[in-house]
Amino acid sequence: MPALWSMIQANLKMSVRNRTALFWNLAFPAIFILIFGAVFGRDAGVSFTVGIAGEASALRDGTVAAMEAADAFAVEQGDAAAELAELEDGERDVVLVFGPAGADGRPAIDLAYDETDGPNARIAVAATRQVLLGVAGGETPLAIAERAVTSTEVSFMDFFVPGILAMSLMNSGVIGLSTAFVIYRERGILRRIKVTPFPLWAFILARVASQLLVAVAQSLILIVLARLLFDLHLRGNPILILAVILLGALAFLAIGFAISGFARNAETAASYANLVTFPMLFLSGVFFAVDSAPAWLQPITRLLPLRYLVDALREPMTRGRGIAEIWPDLLVLAATFVVAMAVAVRFFRWDARGA
Amino acid sequence: MPASALVRPAADSRLPTPDQPVIEARGLVKRYGGAVAVDGVDLVVAEGEIFGILGPNGAGKTTTLEMVEGLRAPDAGTIRVAGFDAVADPASVRRVIGVQLQTTALFDYLSAAELISLFGGLYGAPTPPARADELLALVGLTEKRASRVDQLSGGQQQRLSIALALVNRPRVVFLDEPTTGLDPQARRALWATVRGVRDGGATVVLTTHYMEEAETLCDRIAIMDRGRVIALDTPAALIRNLGMAATVRAHVGGDTLPAAALAALPGVTTIVPTDDPTALRLQTSDAQATLVGLLALAEAHRVSLTDLASAQATLEDVFLALAGRTYEQDEQDEPAADSHRPPAKRGRRR
Ligand SMILES: Nc1ncnc2c1ncn2[C@@H]1O[C@H](COP(=O)(O)OP(=O)(O)OP(=O)(O)O)[C@@H](O)[C@H]1O
Ligand SMILES: [Mg+2]
Repeated sequence: MPALWSMIQANLKMSVRNRTALFWNLAFPAIFILIFGAVFGRDAGVSFTVGIAGEASALRDGTVAAMEAADAFAVEQGDAAAELAELEDGERDVVLVFGPAGADGRPAIDLAYDETDGPNARIAVAATRQVLLGVAGGETPLAIAERAVTSTEVSFMDFFVPGILAMSLMNSGVIGLSTAFVIYRERGILRRIKVTPFPLWAFILARVASQLLVAVAQSLILIVLARLLFDLHLRGNPILILAVILLGALAFLAIGFAISGFARNAETAASYANLVTFPMLFLSGVFFAVDSAPAWLQPITRLLPLRYLVDALREPMTRGRGIAEIWPDLLVLAATFVVAMAVAVRFFRWDARGA
Repeated sequence: MPASALVRPAADSRLPTPDQPVIEARGLVKRYGGAVAVDGVDLVVAEGEIFGILGPNGAGKTTTLEMVEGLRAPDAGTIRVAGFDAVADPASVRRVIGVQLQTTALFDYLSAAELISLFGGLYGAPTPPARADELLALVGLTEKRASRVDQLSGGQQQRLSIALALVNRPRVVFLDEPTTGLDPQARRALWATVRGVRDGGATVVLTTHYMEEAETLCDRIAIMDRGRVIALDTPAALIRNLGMAATVRAHVGGDTLPAAALAALPGVTTIVPTDDPTALRLQTSDAQATLVGLLALAEAHRVSLTDLASAQATLEDVFLALAGRTYEQDEQDEPAADSHRPPAKRGRRR
């Protein structure tokens, strides 16, 4: 297999040195994340939403009044169970549950916060304590029981990043591979390979393997970027997500490969590829949930492989779902791969002139 | 001067030994739609030969070569290369041949050295750096070892693709127009390279448009025209067998000379038609007698002769005699060293 490895290495070198491809593979989705993240990604201002529940008391009333007076707090009141549920959904930063008055006439307080909020949560907790102490007069210690809650807050990025990942896998697979193979054929590189002992299947495998490596690297970079700059949560089984990325990349590489068989030259390949990718980009839930599309569009979206990749990435990444929920998506992606590959092999040509 | 003086003395001793041909192709036919590109070609190439295929654009040189390489399937005929059947077992053939295609086909974004290493890899093991340097030196690209392919000039890319054809130390090397597009110095350097490859034990099959190149470089030449081999022999024998020694040329000033009188000059075998009515071109078996006669004829008709010259018969004359037309309309008369313009069809090369 040294031959295969030589070819993979060469492909990787070429991918890294091909600035245009690098832009489309990496910078383009990254720019999407930066722009959308800047516009939608952050809650405006620094304010904490505090849920208040439990027994009525002077302390509770004082706290509500103090927090409502301060810009940094938004107060929601409700019953304890409902407020804690909101916390778990990421809708509250802190929930205070006031108990019945104790021996000293003051209520015990349960303070629950969202630990997935990181430093933000620490600040919210500290600020809340500050208010409580201020209202209580500060001299006597308060009985505050702190408790961390793990929320499954779905941030904008949690929804957006899987979509962008799917988009970039589709673009680099369909557009990248189809134009690459057509150019190889136009230039006679495929014929040149054909007069060496290196078999065609190995040439294709090398290309696919290197594109998969690039796809994984590209996905990691996008995830890290969204994680560092915005509030992307990391959920779902990483192995499952990696497997979805690989399967999705394969399905779209196969589509790109099939297109290269039909296209006469690099320009036609690019337009066929755009013809395939463009509708999918808007009808597969990359930017908005497919459910919000009009009813007549729904059946169409079900025909688009990208929809299944978006779904298979989004379910684990935003909600931590497992294979049990996404296996139908994976099945569709696998079928896409098989069908597209069969078409690609059927229409493969070594030579631009078909000799 | 006898015609054979044009050829290296060694050439005649390199006649094919039919019992050990390294290439044996019989009755090759290739059709494209209704057109016949190759029409019953036989090629027998002996081990250690430099074998040239000469012919004008569209003669079928590339098609023939690529059928032998196992790259195009012939419509009829049999091909054996180094003992393997190129049609039934192209995989075995590919292991022992090295190929430079007419259209240079290289990956961008790799350096010259990386490309050589990669091609070595395709044959099983990446080319060691020392061997890569050796190959680059062989084609005069030592300074370009780290340059990306897309930054090389056309001629440099072509030289690189010749180096790639040698990566696997092939038994048979196929070079399709290896010197087209090379500057005169690079062309001569390439001849030395080709001879070196042959002296290293390989057989070289090349195509060319350059008569002079075929004469000086090749041990044997097949002249192709319209899909057929119209002559096949050593350059010396091809010229000798025509019974002509030289071409006499001049420009006629004033009046024209009567064709009958020209044809009657001693030694003249053919009056070569030319586009320019003042240009005179005679093929002769005795240049000296023809020149003396021509001078007397000009004297008698009171015409002036300028640019009077005689030249040894060349392969171009052979082609002319066999194909019944000049080699190429725009080809220069004298195939003197390095004076050739490249043939018209250059667009395909990067
Ligand atoms: N793939 C093809 N499809 C159709 N016709 C072809 C094909 N390849 C070659 N031909 C035709 O076959 C004939 C021989 O072509 P070939 O390329 O073998 O010529 P050649 O001798 O190599 O010419 P050149 O000196 O220009 O390279 C030409 O008429 C050409 O048009
Ligand atoms: Mg040719």
